[in-house]
Amino acid sequence: MAVYKRGYEPYEGELTPEWSRFLVIARQAYRRVFESRLLVSYLVLCLICPVACALIIYLPHNEGALQMVSVGDLITIEPGFFLKYMHLQGWLGFILTAFIGPGLISADLANNALPLYFSRPFTRTEYVAGKMSVLAILLSFITWIPGLLLFAFQSYLAGPKWFWDNLHVAYALFVGFWVWIILLSLLALAMSAWVKWKLAAGILILAIFFVVAGIGSVLNEVLDTRMGSLINVVQVIDTIWSSMLGLASRSGISPANAWMSLAAACALCLHLLSRKVRAYEVERS
Amino acid sequence: MKTSLPWKLWARQVMAILRIELAKNFKRKRAIPVYVLAFLPFLLWQTHSLVHIRGWRTCSGSEDLMVYAGVFQVFVLRLAIFFSAVAIFMNLFRGKIVEKTLHYYFLAPVRREVLVVGKYLSGVAMMVIVFGAGTALSYLTAVNHLKLTASRAVVPAAMADLPVYVGVTALACLGYGAVFLVTGLLFRNPIVPAVAILSWESIIVFLPAVLKKFSVIFYLESLCPVKVPFHGPGLLFTITAEPTPAYLSVPGLILLTLALLALAALRIRKMEISYGTE
Amino acid sequence: MSGGRIVFEDVSKFYGDVLGVNRVNLSIPPGITALVGPNGSGKTTLMNLITGLVRPTRGRISVLGISPDDPERLFKVVGYCTQFDSFPRGKTGYEFLYSSLRLHGKSHAEARELTMTALELTGMTDAAGRRVAAYSKGMRQRIKLAHAICHQPSVLVLDEPLNGLDPMARAEAIALFRSLAAEGLHVIISSHILHEVDCISDQVVLLNSGYVVAEGQIQAVRSEMNQEHPLQIMVRCSRPGALASRVFTLDHVVEVRMHADGRGLLASTRNPDLFYQALNQAVLEGLIDIESVAPADDDVHSVYQYLIGNEGEAL
Ligand SMILES: Nc1ncnc2c1ncn2[C@@H]1O[C@H](COP(=O)(O)OP(=O)(O)O)[C@@H](O)[C@H]1O
Ligand SMILES: [Mg+2]
Repeated sequence: MAVYKRGYEPYEGELTPEWSRFLVIARQAYRRVFESRLLVSYLVLCLICPVACALIIYLPHNEGALQMVSVGDLITIEPGFFLKYMHLQGWLGFILTAFIGPGLISADLANNALPLYFSRPFTRTEYVAGKMSVLAILLSFITWIPGLLLFAFQSYLAGPKWFWDNLHVAYALFVGFWVWIILLSLLALAMSAWVKWKLAAGILILAIFFVVAGIGSVLNEVLDTRMGSLINVVQVIDTIWSSMLGLASRSGISPANAWMSLAAACALCLHLLSRKVRAYEVERS
Repeated sequence: MKTSLPWKLWARQVMAILRIELAKNFKRKRAIPVYVLAFLPFLLWQTHSLVHIRGWRTCSGSEDLMVYAGVFQVFVLRLAIFFSAVAIFMNLFRGKIVEKTLHYYFLAPVRREVLVVGKYLSGVAMMVIVFGAGTALSYLTAVNHLKLTASRAVVPAAMADLPVYVGVTALACLGYGAVFLVTGLLFRNPIVPAVAILSWESIIVFLPAVLKKFSVIFYLESLCPVKVPFHGPGLLFTITAEPTPAYLSVPGLILLTLALLALAALRIRKMEISYGTE
Repeated sequence: MSGGRIVFEDVSKFYGDVLGVNRVNLSIPPGITALVGPNGSGKTTLMNLITGLVRPTRGRISVLGISPDDPERLFKVVGYCTQFDSFPRGKTGYEFLYSSLRLHGKSHAEARELTMTALELTGMTDAAGRRVAAYSKGMRQRIKLAHAICHQPSVLVLDEPLNGLDPMARAEAIALFRSLAAEGLHVIISSHILHEVDCISDQVVLLNSGYVVAEGQIQAVRSEMNQEHPLQIMVRCSRPGALASRVFTLDHVVEVRMHADGRGLLASTRNPDLFYQALNQAVLEGLIDIESVAPADDDVHSVYQYLIGNEGEAL
């Protein structure tokens, strides 16, 4: 039957709740992500370290294993141990972001897909939230979720006293990793929205980490200060994590400064996003 | 019929491409980060010397040349020029494929090989001008500052290194330019190769001398006038191979560049326009 | 120059496993040639082959004696308006043409002159100072056309040049093609609507899924289609037997088959126009009541019907 002969009937079935619609974007994105064998194997790789950490935690509590190694060799499970864990998983998360992040918005921009999104009952905030959730959910699975599991495991083995003494570690794992996740995904989305070309966005994300960090060290060396570390993302996050864990950071900047630098970076990313994620572009002529 | 190749015509065409491309390279908005990277050391050295003049801080100058060498090798060569070359040279062809405008070049009465050479030279010219100026200015500032310090005796000797630094900068642009031109032509998604090259050039210090010959940074570092003892996370960094003498490393680098350009020319001769989904 | 031809010798192009065009043999003289076929039939592929943007998998192509492998000589005589709707970033219409002419090796004054001429010919003078990115579809189409003709080529290859033009601009463009062809140029136009180009073309090449189905002057093509591929028409009606005996006397009807259920027939005809007339006659005389009439889904013919477009429907 010809299309025009069909009568028009509006959809009358059930609608999904409005608040959860941004997750549609994440669902679509995951289909692509899990098609790539490279990415899936990388995700598995990211879980090796938590498993190894679990073994390290378990070892002192296993009598059979204790007989094989001398007590001095064992790693004591203290905040420093978790800081190392956070740094390692943080890096793995960064690499994952550099993989997935660049294509998130740039592909839509390059193919003029934004008008399609916004011609539906779908706001810009929901769009950005949807794209962010792609990264946030994946990153959670390799950062704070295994982290808290490790913490729970250690508390279970070491008893309630250790748990109460180290409660701030759980806080650091949860909040510290969320700060990292938000920073990474905002950065990736902003870069991805700023340049339409996926490759260029990927390079920008790398450049933000390496080149800007390099500029920071040059500042430090030439001007003999520590302020350059404020633009070094790794040093900033190390300062924040260390302060949460109650450890001293080697970065030489104060936690307050680090938080400020972080907030500035996030604000900048949000500004970029709000400028670029629009249904149309105005060409100056 | 054709006994001699029309070199004159090709030279004219290369010049025409240079005229068009060079202006574009300089004026593009995307060139701004390149300028920032190139002139940042200069600004910082200016500030360094200003801080001293104002008496906010004292500086004996004894470390300055070493710091300069460190900044040059680690920041300028490995980061600034590296990433600028990625941005500029990958854009030459790969960027045009993404923008779906490469066919406009292929529809001009110019041999594709000539097109490669012209575009490559336009990128190199821009990089050499910008980074050459940046390096020269920052070095002059750093050395000039020494005149005000206790180390003023080393100034004449230090001035002799200026052309070496500028020369190494130019060679770096030449080498990395060719590397990324080819990467952009050979790979559909060049980000993985770009990261691989970055890692390769970073870990090359750990590798045996034979492998070092296949990196750009190796030739560059053996040409640098001041050797920097790396400190920090890698004592390993100190395993440097015998530096290659200049009469080998300069032609070595140029040969590497020519080989890469030949590869690019071969590739582009066969290239078809098919703007798939990126 | 006018003696030159664009020659395809047994040319095939495969994109991996996908067929672009297959076993094409053509020799295109000067004048307007229309490549006509539905989407995906290989029009763009043929044009890209002429201009060397893609290379043939098999066979040889020569454009006025020049191989498409040799851009240095080829693009002195060829101008190509592609289907890609993309432009160098940030350029105005004027700059777009001017810089392309500089690449052709023209001097500043010459390039300026040629740019102005091309802008004038395509009616884009007023918009020349604005950025191409801000153009409407029709303006983009026209600036691409200007780009193809600005260096005054003798072979003009235009991929769907009438797409997106309003009727006025379309008439102007067609007039331009005609005057260029009158000067002895090869003008090759592609379109997926035959009646849009058949009145201005000196010859048409009909393409379907990578094959040249028919080629030549439009009248010849029409009759060739009818001779070699009789059209099957399915008629559902009352008293098909009566209709069968009526149409079987017509000499353009090649074959008549009755439906098994006795409520229709299938007729093959070399002249659908006359067949439809006879059908009308039969209805008017009250011989039959028609339930439906439809061309059977014969591959080549359905394409042809589609191309002929409203002429087929009009009956
Ligand atoms: N770059 C390509 N890769 C794969 N297949 C292609 C490519 N370009 C064209 N094709 C295929 O070749 C056939 C002819 O396409 P094309 O020449 O573009 O047709 P037309 O221009 O007539 O619409 C189509 O089936 C198309 O899918
Ligand atoms: Mg087409």
